[in-house]
Amino acid sequence: MHGTKFARTIRFIAAWLLVGLFFFPIYYWTSVAFRNGRDIFSRPPKIFDFEPTIANFNAVFGISFEGGVPQITPGGGNFYMAPRLWDSIVIGVGSTLIAVAIATLAAYALSRMRFKGSHHFVGWVLSTRMLPPVAVAVPMFFIYRQFNLLDTYTGMIIIHAIMNLPLAVLLMKSFFDDVPNEIDESATIDGASRWTIFRRIVLPMAKGGIAATAVLCFIFSWTEFLFALTLTQTDVRTVPVVSTTFVTSVGTAWGNMAALGAAAILPAFIFVLAVQKHLVRGLTMGSLKQ
Amino acid sequence: MKDQDRKRHLATITDRFARGRMDRRSFLSSAGKLGLAVGGLGLGFGLSGRRPFFDLTGTAFAQNAENLRPSEDIMAWLRDVAKPYAGTTLRFATESTPPSNALNNGLVRYFEEATGINVEIEVLPLEQVLQKLTLDAASQLGTYDLYYIDQSWAASFSRDVFDPREQYEGNADLAYPDYNIDDFLPALVDGIAVFEDRWVGVPYDIPIFIMQYRKDIYDELGLKAPETMEEMLSNSQAITEAKGPDIYGTTGQMKSGHYSLECDWTCWLWGHGGQIFDSSNKFVGNNEAGIRAMEYWDELKKTMPPGVDGWTWDGQGQSVSQGLAASMLSWGEFFPFFDDPDAGQISGLMEAAVPPKATTLVSPDQTGFGEIPGVGHQGGSSLAVSRYSKNPDPAWIFMQWATSADTQALITVLGGGTGPTRSSVYDAEIVKANARVGAGTTRHLPIVRDTIANHMGSEPDLPQWAQISSDTIPVGLGRYFAGEFSSPKEALDEIAGQVDQIVGG
Repeated sequence: MHGTKFARTIRFIAAWLLVGLFFFPIYYWTSVAFRNGRDIFSRPPKIFDFEPTIANFNAVFGISFEGGVPQITPGGGNFYMAPRLWDSIVIGVGSTLIAVAIATLAAYALSRMRFKGSHHFVGWVLSTRMLPPVAVAVPMFFIYRQFNLLDTYTGMIIIHAIMNLPLAVLLMKSFFDDVPNEIDESATIDGASRWTIFRRIVLPMAKGGIAATAVLCFIFSWTEFLFALTLTQTDVRTVPVVSTTFVTSVGTAWGNMAALGAAAILPAFIFVLAVQKHLVRGLTMGSLKQ
Repeated sequence: MKDQDRKRHLATITDRFARGRMDRRSFLSSAGKLGLAVGGLGLGFGLSGRRPFFDLTGTAFAQNAENLRPSEDIMAWLRDVAKPYAGTTLRFATESTPPSNALNNGLVRYFEEATGINVEIEVLPLEQVLQKLTLDAASQLGTYDLYYIDQSWAASFSRDVFDPREQYEGNADLAYPDYNIDDFLPALVDGIAVFEDRWVGVPYDIPIFIMQYRKDIYDELGLKAPETMEEMLSNSQAITEAKGPDIYGTTGQMKSGHYSLECDWTCWLWGHGGQIFDSSNKFVGNNEAGIRAMEYWDELKKTMPPGVDGWTWDGQGQSVSQGLAASMLSWGEFFPFFDDPDAGQISGLMEAAVPPKATTLVSPDQTGFGEIPGVGHQGGSSLAVSRYSKNPDPAWIFMQWATSADTQALITVLGGGTGPTRSSVYDAEIVKANARVGAGTTRHLPIVRDTIANHMGSEPDLPQWAQISSDTIPVGLGRYFAGEFSSPKEALDEIAGQVDQIVGG
């Protein structure tokens, strides 16, 4: 690279400081998961020198390694949350697949086809996000109850997919807009149908954009609280909703909450890793305009 | 070794043994060094093994595990009475309180085994319980069969639940013969469950303000548990002067806009001869007594740790548990938490006392909406069967079982030393057996009982109270402590205007 050795060293230190700045809260939160109550609020705060324990994970996931022997002890108690992680994964993946599938088709149509009022259409799609979710939550509760969708995977997948659709359509449209129209025209001259152009030519070129959209949809679903709170009860409950269970009348069970939080980072992290290759392309799409 | 250190060490090693982190030999060896006879520790054995449903170890290590199960009498009644309802599913939304946690963490399994009725307990923070129940009651959905009703919501839900007396007398076939509805502490029935002429369920739990203080610090400074409001202030000032800024005299739950701030306010208000409503149902928290209370609170706040106005009861409890504050006049439910050697730094160092006496106390007949002035602010709740339940009979069976003396004694022990709502439970042997230093102690319960009987304060019952107590008052007080008003009177006058507007409709 450029510059003197001193400048490179400064850049290197600055980069690590920046990484440390972002990483420290994650480290601290994760470390809370391995502390007992005495060490969580100690004065002065203990950064590294605490006695590690897996008791919090034991309570939250029913997995104990006491005596060096792994034991599964799904207690069914208040803080046993392993099934809730699975609920969140099912709802996150399901709603993302549906939202991305519909958004891709809709966005391609909006990007390539001209129809009456098409320029208003995008604004109309976006306007559905302008209503505060809380205004929708209660009516949705009654609708869901009527259709027996309360407290079900299907219900939660549908609501999260609907919630993510406007943003996904808008994002995907911008990605499709970046694929030059001339490519479509060339393919048309070669005899390709609209569907073939979409499937064989434009879609592969927008793979990065699809990945970026999928990541955003998944993260929004993974962290969504209000609909999950209103439309679920005991059968299906997502991680953000059950995280509030740790707030009790005699204080917050920070260690248990951190154990669930630390574990909840993993699925989202793995999902991002899986699409990382395409994600970088997707995030930079549109940076170079024709 | 000082007695306090000895107690703390004993609590620590017993807890480690009970949790399986210390073998029996090491435990006996350590206990022997403390000069304790083996026989005295005998009850501690047999708990290090893992049980599939209970985590008894954190709460009830002094108990023999086999004692911690429902009596055969009540199990036989359940098996008999619930036969027609096997296969039913009951839903119950509740705050994460010690009784609900004790039920959900294991006791409910016994009910399900005996009856074949499935019970789904949805544990939520208080405000989310209110949201769910409001939706359920307003639309008469019957999603939940049982309602957990905080005392501040009693008026709002009074017509949405069955009166348990009518249920008990109206259906002899389903009545538990030993239920003894008169066993519920009368003060709690009045303060928590009764609205107008109806019982809005039966008292289910009773968090109540008691005085909790660091005996070691009080002894060191030659102080005694405060008996008056002035002593409370002077003790706190003396400690802050001698130990601050490492240790402050007292602490609070003063988060702006949070219900906890309103709870603290009522305690100081009632303690200075104030009242929320007068007998014509007008807000009078801004009268002279109300202003005196605010001035006192301002002085007391100077002896609290910085940041206290960002805390609810969670931060308040932590500030004591971590040794930052030497006392608190607050929820007695925290006392067992302070005794837990794994939770904080002060196991064995705390003592409980009844709240300081009020300077003057307004008589309940001079107040409005059933308000009962008293320094021991109570935040209890009741349990009731929803009128919209699709399964009212099995729900009533569950309710009788969950609030019976037998189950409540187990809840008290397994729920970490929570205060019982029945008189007989305070005298139960398994409850008394836990009156020792350690997690889940019940050694503070005599004070809780005394406070309920002689010092208890209850908020008014009116349908708008949930809004007033969780929003109007704590937001106004929060603005005052943030410096938005030039005087307590200005702040209280504004609150008065808003409250009267809400009450007047």
